[in-house]
Amino acid sequence: MRPSLALLRTTTFRLALAQAGVVLLFVVALLVYVYFATIGQLVADSDILADQEYAALERAYAEGGIRRLNQEVVERAAQEGPLLYVLAEGNGTVITGDFPQLPAAASEAVQRIDFTFETTNADGAPQRARARGQIGRLLNGPILLVARDLSDSAAITGRITQVLWTVAILGVFFSVASGLTASWFATHRVEALSSTARDVMAGDLKRRAPVRGEGDEFDALAEAMNAMLDRLERLMQVSRTAGDAIAHDLRSPLTRFRQKLEAALEAPADSASDREALRKALEEADSLLDMFAAVLKLARVESNPNWRFERIDASDILRELVDFYEPAAEEQGRTLRGDIAAGLYVNGEPGLFTQAVSNLVENALKYTPVGGHIELTAVRRSDGRLEIAVSDDGPGILPVDRDRVLERFVRLESARSSPGAGLGLSLVAAVARLHKGGLHLRDGLDNVGGKGLGAALVLPAAA
Amino acid sequence: MRVLLVEDDADMAESLRSSLMADEHEVEIASDGELGQSMAATGGYDVIVLDRMLPKKLGVSVVKELREQGVSTPVLILSALHDEDHRIEGLNAGANDYLGKPFSTRELLARVRALWNGRDRDVQTRLQVGDLEMDLLARTVKRGGKKLDLQPREFRLLEYLMRNAGQTVTRKMLLENVWDYHFDPQTNVIDVHISRLRSKIDRDFAQSLLHTVRGSGYRLEA
Repeated sequence: MRPSLALLRTTTFRLALAQAGVVLLFVVALLVYVYFATIGQLVADSDILADQEYAALERAYAEGGIRRLNQEVVERAAQEGPLLYVLAEGNGTVITGDFPQLPAAASEAVQRIDFTFETTNADGAPQRARARGQIGRLLNGPILLVARDLSDSAAITGRITQVLWTVAILGVFFSVASGLTASWFATHRVEALSSTARDVMAGDLKRRAPVRGEGDEFDALAEAMNAMLDRLERLMQVSRTAGDAIAHDLRSPLTRFRQKLEAALEAPADSASDREALRKALEEADSLLDMFAAVLKLARVESNPNWRFERIDASDILRELVDFYEPAAEEQGRTLRGDIAAGLYVNGEPGLFTQAVSNLVENALKYTPVGGHIELTAVRRSDGRLEIAVSDDGPGILPVDRDRVLERFVRLESARSSPGAGLGLSLVAAVARLHKGGLHLRDGLDNVGGKGLGAALVLPAAA
Repeated sequence: MRVLLVEDDADMAESLRSSLMADEHEVEIASDGELGQSMAATGGYDVIVLDRMLPKKLGVSVVKELREQGVSTPVLILSALHDEDHRIEGLNAGANDYLGKPFSTRELLARVRALWNGRDRDVQTRLQVGDLEMDLLARTVKRGGKKLDLQPREFRLLEYLMRNAGQTVTRKMLLENVWDYHFDPQTNVIDVHISRLRSKIDRDFAQSLLHTVRGSGYRLEA
């Protein structure tokens, strides 16, 4: 792309061109206005003047007859000035005046006429000029014409027009010039952003757009772009980590799966141990399939906007979940307690909502040591949103790690030994987002020497 | 039992057929939706196992049209994705059960039997297994004439087991039918509920009715 052409294609330059067009239109409008304002005024003035002269001459005729009128016309025509006179006989033959012939035929009534006539300019060259006046037939036949020469007003208008056109051309020129300058600057700044984007696309993820510190719109754009790049870099990292994690998490069970089959094959044929090996291999296959199912479900929650939402009785579902898990918790030596406000409703997908809360409860059951306490609470907050929280007095999660565990496949070192794909909380967070809410991790219940984990699902309440 | 299996994947169909036949069912296979529908409408089957994604006509449409034709044979839909919305769509179309792939063969066999069992579910008001009796109207349970005190959820759990008496019910079937939960809890929640129920119905009696079927689930049997 040649730079000069690129400059002409920029938005700024196009805007400057448009501005030049507006200047041009404005000047044309001004011209039209000035033209009509000056000529219109002159015409009105000359009409009054011509009327007065015509009336005066009419009186002279009434008082002194044709002779007196002729004399008056001769005198007045001889005077310097813009007024033109012609006196003619009833048949149109000119008696005296500024023209050898009548420029128009006269009717019985007095009428206003516009006409052009041959004259000479200041240099003596012939030219045509415009005039306007009154023509009429006097008593007993003679025809009188009184008109005003409009050529001087035409000259004024011409000069004004000339000035305005000069202004228009200058205006257009400066518009284009300033447009080119502005677009040169803009192109320059945009080019800096574009080259950053190209470098990032080429793989330099650390590259950031320059911020000049002028606080202008380009700086704002550069800052937004940099923030976006930061976010993207992090997401890339996450998905790379996720890829590594899924490969890692799949490799271990697949390896065990393979080893079990191999060991069974190597060992001497023995139906009892073969069957045991097959059973274990099946278990491994199931856990792999579970993991795939979890990945697929998460992907569907995150990417499918077409879930059928309905008004669901959250209080009821939560109470049932407590009843569902309470016996197992007790059996394992943990206490699960529910404190659920009545009449909480959510617009949502019941299956996903139930599973999200159940994931939180299972998480708490998994990470709270024997003898621990788990509480499921649900309230309507003062801001009208529902807060469904599962809190435990287990080891908790350090505040610095809390955001990270919501990302998929992230399992803290401390959790590596327990089963699970690290997708449970990611699914809860995704379900929360689907329901226009969020999942927040915070301190849970007090325990010896610290706090457990509190996982709060905050969702908009249904009416 | 005569089972119609509508499945386009030949390997899958063959493997399911041999499992069903091993469970003493008579199996016929249709390889697309249209053929499946015409066989289902005329063949006099006890249970229809229908894949969701089929050539020529989708499983959901097949069920819907069968029901419109007045064919009330119980239908189990198999689906590649166990999705809430697909499941509801399938059940709304008139299917009786919905099973997401992958599933274990035991799960499928248990469900096929349960479907056959449940065909006249609504007309029963009393259930009896050995000396265990359930009155569905009075909502009372007695064993050997002695009244047992059950929580509402325990009552539903026992009702489901009694309706499928003599047959294995899987944990997944209990989750779906008793709790209406369509996810897999990772802890042994169902086992604890069963053991609590067992302590109420079996503890004071010589004969155990509620049996654990290793690797599959539970069976209530006199």
